[in-house]
Amino acid sequence: MAGTFPGSWPTADTAPPAAPRPMPAADDRPLDQLDEPGLVGACLAQRAGAFDLIVERHRRAVYQLCYRFVGNHEDASDLSQDVFLRAYRGLRSFRGQSTLATWLYRIGVNVCLNRVSAKTTLGKLTEPIEEKQFVDARAESPSELMLKDERAARVRAAIAQLPRKQRATLILRTYHEMSHQEIADALGSSVGAVKANFFHALGNLKKLLAEG
Amino acid sequence: MHLNTEELVDIAEGTRAEASMPHLAACEPCRAQLRDLRAMLSAAQEVEVPEPSPLFWDHLSARVGQAVASEAADPARLIGSRSLSTWSWLFGARAFQASVAVAAVVLIAVALGTRTSAPPPLPAPASMSISDASVPAELLSDVATDDASLTLVASLTDQVDLETAREAGLAPRGSADHAVAHLSDSELRELGRLLKEELARSGA
Repeated sequence: MAGTFPGSWPTADTAPPAAPRPMPAADDRPLDQLDEPGLVGACLAQRAGAFDLIVERHRRAVYQLCYRFVGNHEDASDLSQDVFLRAYRGLRSFRGQSTLATWLYRIGVNVCLNRVSAKTTLGKLTEPIEEKQFVDARAESPSELMLKDERAARVRAAIAQLPRKQRATLILRTYHEMSHQEIADALGSSVGAVKANFFHALGNLKKLLAEG
Repeated sequence: MHLNTEELVDIAEGTRAEASMPHLAACEPCRAQLRDLRAMLSAAQEVEVPEPSPLFWDHLSARVGQAVASEAADPARLIGSRSLSTWSWLFGARAFQASVAVAAVVLIAVALGTRTSAPPPLPAPASMSISDASVPAELLSDVATDDASLTLVASLTDQVDLETAREAGLAPRGSADHAVAHLSDSELRELGRLLKEELARSGA
């Protein structure tokens, strides 16, 4: 039923006027053989399982992004669900100008920044060490592991206290390997501002760790 | 002149060579800033996200699936339906416009047929791009060419070609049964749901 929808991408109701990208023709190949535009087209055509596959491919990265913001599993899980739901609602606005992962990160950053209050974040920031049972600890002794966990908890707590844009910049740059330009696009700022935010984020991290 | 933030970030990340900034060799404050940046970058990179239970991923997918399913159950929020009515979603935008236009032809033609007094049979106006075959001849047989209503009909339909009318399931072969027989599974499910909704609303 791909042909049911208007024949250009982006679509008429959400499209910017310039350089519309043609909608891929109906593609009957198995979903796991489709590239990103094909998979998005399959979702828009309401092909069964297409959105499930998008979730499956990106759920780990989205969860990790959310976890970096909130520092606990429960909120990260809820926020991840919210990110995918918003992605589903807005799939027609995906223009194919960035990767699907970058687009999902952008949604994730907005969800995390808008929905998570500083109080919630700080209140649930660190989890008990015993909950981290799935961390691979084969190469470390128990004492080394404990020290590493404590260090990580302190750094995580310090990151959570950074101003919002500095925190978002640090997370996207350090853990998700997004380019400065991609981060600028995601946050609606310039490359210069992203680099300045990154610089100040690292400087503030040093101060916060020294205070802690 | 000291290095600016952008230059320090680029050097700390390794995208700019230290050698390209001769000032660094002579400036201890800039070197100290660079050391701090690298140390914090390294500290941040060491922080890992604890891996959740292997069962968590399927659980997350299931939760997303349920949330999406409940969204999909509400036609007003379906993907692709925001700017279109339920019926236009069902048939597609172009086909929906064609349906409206052809329905207007039929209704006006029937209305004219009941009030005009036996005019001679005439062909459809040349300005209409829908061929005679697309509208039953008996519906057009009593229509007078100089009637103002016909001009309205012509203007409504002059953008509708036979192909479009067929997409709407309203071409000559296009009885309701024909249209239904050509619906996809998802369209059939949606049609069934809408009919049930209508029946429930009317108390049938």
